[in-house]
Amino acid sequence: MSDLEAFRARAAAWLEAMVPLYGKAAREGLTEAEDLALARRYQKAKFDAGYAGINWPREFGGQGLGHLEKVTFDTEEMKHGLPSFYFGISLGMPIPVLMQFGQDKAWVKERVLKALQGEEIWCQLFSEPSGGSDLAGLRTRAEPDGNGWKINGQKLWTSWAQYSDYGVIVVRTDPNVPKHKGLTYFWVDMKAPGVTVRPIKLVGGDSHVNEVFFDDVKISDDQRMSPVGGGFAVAIATLMIERYVATDSAGFGPHLDLFTSLAKNTDLNGRPAIEDGRIRQQIARNYAMRSALQSITARAMAMMQAGMTPGPEGSLNKLVAVRSRQKLSELAIDLQGTNGLHFNPHASQKEDWAASWINAPTGRIAGGSDETLLNTIAEKILGLPQDHRPDKGIPFNQIPA
Amino acid sequence: MSILYDEGQEAIATESRRVLEARVSKEDMLSLLEGVGRYHEGFWRTAKEQGWTALALPEAYGGLDLGLVELGLIAHQAGRTLSGAPFLTASFGVAKAIALYGSDDQKAAWLPGLARGDTIGAVAFAEGANALPAAPSLTLAAGRLEGRVSGVAGGLAAEVALVFAQGPEGPVLAIADLAEAERSAIASFDNSRLYADLAFAGTRAELLLAGEAAREAALHILALQAVITAHEQTGGAEALMEIARDYAVTRKAFGQPIGAFQSIKHRIAELYALVELARANGIHAASREGKDDFITAAAAARISATEAYDTASRDCVQIHGGIGVTWELGLHLHTRRARSLAIEQGPLFFWEDVLVDRLTGEAA
Repeated sequence: MSDLEAFRARAAAWLEAMVPLYGKAAREGLTEAEDLALARRYQKAKFDAGYAGINWPREFGGQGLGHLEKVTFDTEEMKHGLPSFYFGISLGMPIPVLMQFGQDKAWVKERVLKALQGEEIWCQLFSEPSGGSDLAGLRTRAEPDGNGWKINGQKLWTSWAQYSDYGVIVVRTDPNVPKHKGLTYFWVDMKAPGVTVRPIKLVGGDSHVNEVFFDDVKISDDQRMSPVGGGFAVAIATLMIERYVATDSAGFGPHLDLFTSLAKNTDLNGRPAIEDGRIRQQIARNYAMRSALQSITARAMAMMQAGMTPGPEGSLNKLVAVRSRQKLSELAIDLQGTNGLHFNPHASQKEDWAASWINAPTGRIAGGSDETLLNTIAEKILGLPQDHRPDKGIPFNQIPA
Repeated sequence: MSILYDEGQEAIATESRRVLEARVSKEDMLSLLEGVGRYHEGFWRTAKEQGWTALALPEAYGGLDLGLVELGLIAHQAGRTLSGAPFLTASFGVAKAIALYGSDDQKAAWLPGLARGDTIGAVAFAEGANALPAAPSLTLAAGRLEGRVSGVAGGLAAEVALVFAQGPEGPVLAIADLAEAERSAIASFDNSRLYADLAFAGTRAELLLAGEAAREAALHILALQAVITAHEQTGGAEALMEIARDYAVTRKAFGQPIGAFQSIKHRIAELYALVELARANGIHAASREGKDDFITAAAAARISATEAYDTASRDCVQIHGGIGVTWELGLHLHTRRARSLAIEQGPLFFWEDVLVDRLTGEAA
């Protein structure tokens, strides 16, 4: 057994042992506050067992292992419905950026250790009402204020802001230069005066995203994590931290087996639906798509193991898997006819077709919309030209509203 | 078998691409469309010279003992340039069946010629929409074959055919000597495939396998061919995606390259996705030869490769506008080939059923 397989086996065994304590059954019926408390205990258990910060430097409390071990652990963890998602953003982007760009190293180390153990949570304050895909078009501004800065404006779609202790934020510090050049990157204390967090209820019924208002929020200059006007580069670095993450060829919806067994057990015109050509074609096409994505992932892992850089095709998973999941979920509901009308807002989108269907649009928009991903493939991989951008090179405050 | 190509395999890909690009031109392929019964002799000479005909056959009979991965790499390149004859896949299917299921005498009689490429083979299972008929209309009794098969790729040139027939006690897999068969050429939209209907009337044929084992073996041979064809389809789709991209960055309209319009660039990005999915399934399937899930992997590869080539052939023409439908530009060579390859080795109706039967445990 290779070292990686041994690592996988150890991680799988440890995760199995955690399921009775922190898994789906243990979480059933908990309030969100209770669930978060349980999730914090799970994160602490991960830290104690050596599965937190797997690919981070030891000096920051990490394990000093490679990216492969990290992806391997995440892939195993995903199988169990364990509550790691409260910390996904926190440990995925803000904390790695803090390690790289934070100024006060002792303070950074303290934050990293607390975040790794689930005691503190960080959020990422990027998107705004005026733009998500067009990140550099953001309007929240920071103005000089004594020796520091004063922030005014509004952020939107901020995951877990309601539970966050800190956040990283990109704001406009100079509206007189073209949009990318007038941005600066800071960290903020989410409990500071003037910060207001309002959860937003999404169509599936949950409220993990928020709008965050900043009214004369004062911060000091040592909270700055980029040169003044150099925030866009740090924001992009944030988004590029992990190109190959644990993926799910089901697009974070149900496994295809669930559809196949539904088709076997559903009567359509007096016969099992699995005998219907329309259903069979969808199963076959979805299987082919999913097996291809799995093969792309397996190849990327093998390449990383061989010390090679995986190809850009790894970026296809989100685009292809989520929209297929959306259609398959519609079909699964249709297939049940009137029996498909039931809806349980607490059902898991990995196990319930209605939950998968109602939440699918979020998956196609959050973290890069389908259209943004297509643009990225076209421009970065295939060398096609950028879209016409009328705001290019124009000072931000002269762009027509 | 690894899903990462090693240096030797990379070299096969590079060298076959170089040779084919130098020796098979669009003009050659266009002229072949306009007559029935001709194929690209330079292509086939190259395949023999380069040892591609011997690649995946046993060393004891003149082969090179490599496998589907290597043959797939060559098929991918042949798909890019458009292969000038169907024999690489068709002869391989016949040879592989003899190597797997034949007697020592049969191997000695047929394999060296097939490995050299001097003997051309064809696989003649299909009857219309049935890629592998549940009840074949061909019959084999006392070493004599009776009946008709339709649309056999390479059928006009092959000397030997692998057939699936009804024997005295269930289905049989057999090899038929085509010297005695009656061939009628099919005037097709893709003439260099040498499609023919074959009529057998007391034609001599040798038994390879009988009973349900024959049906399983026939499906296995089809699956091997399907994986090679999937590589060829992926190569064609990849070439079209690149042609579309190259056109979109140079052709201008409304004051900018048309590739700056999202209606065009997103179409090409979608093609990239289809090509990469097809490639991934093809590589995976080639690496599963001999494993329990090979048929499933082959079916998946076939499905995504057919989707990729069909979509690329539609969209590449659409992106070109009027110039795309001219005879001279030759995009229709791929449009035609996408369709002919979608039918050879069985259409998607067939492979979708094969796949779902396996996923639901209904297959034997």
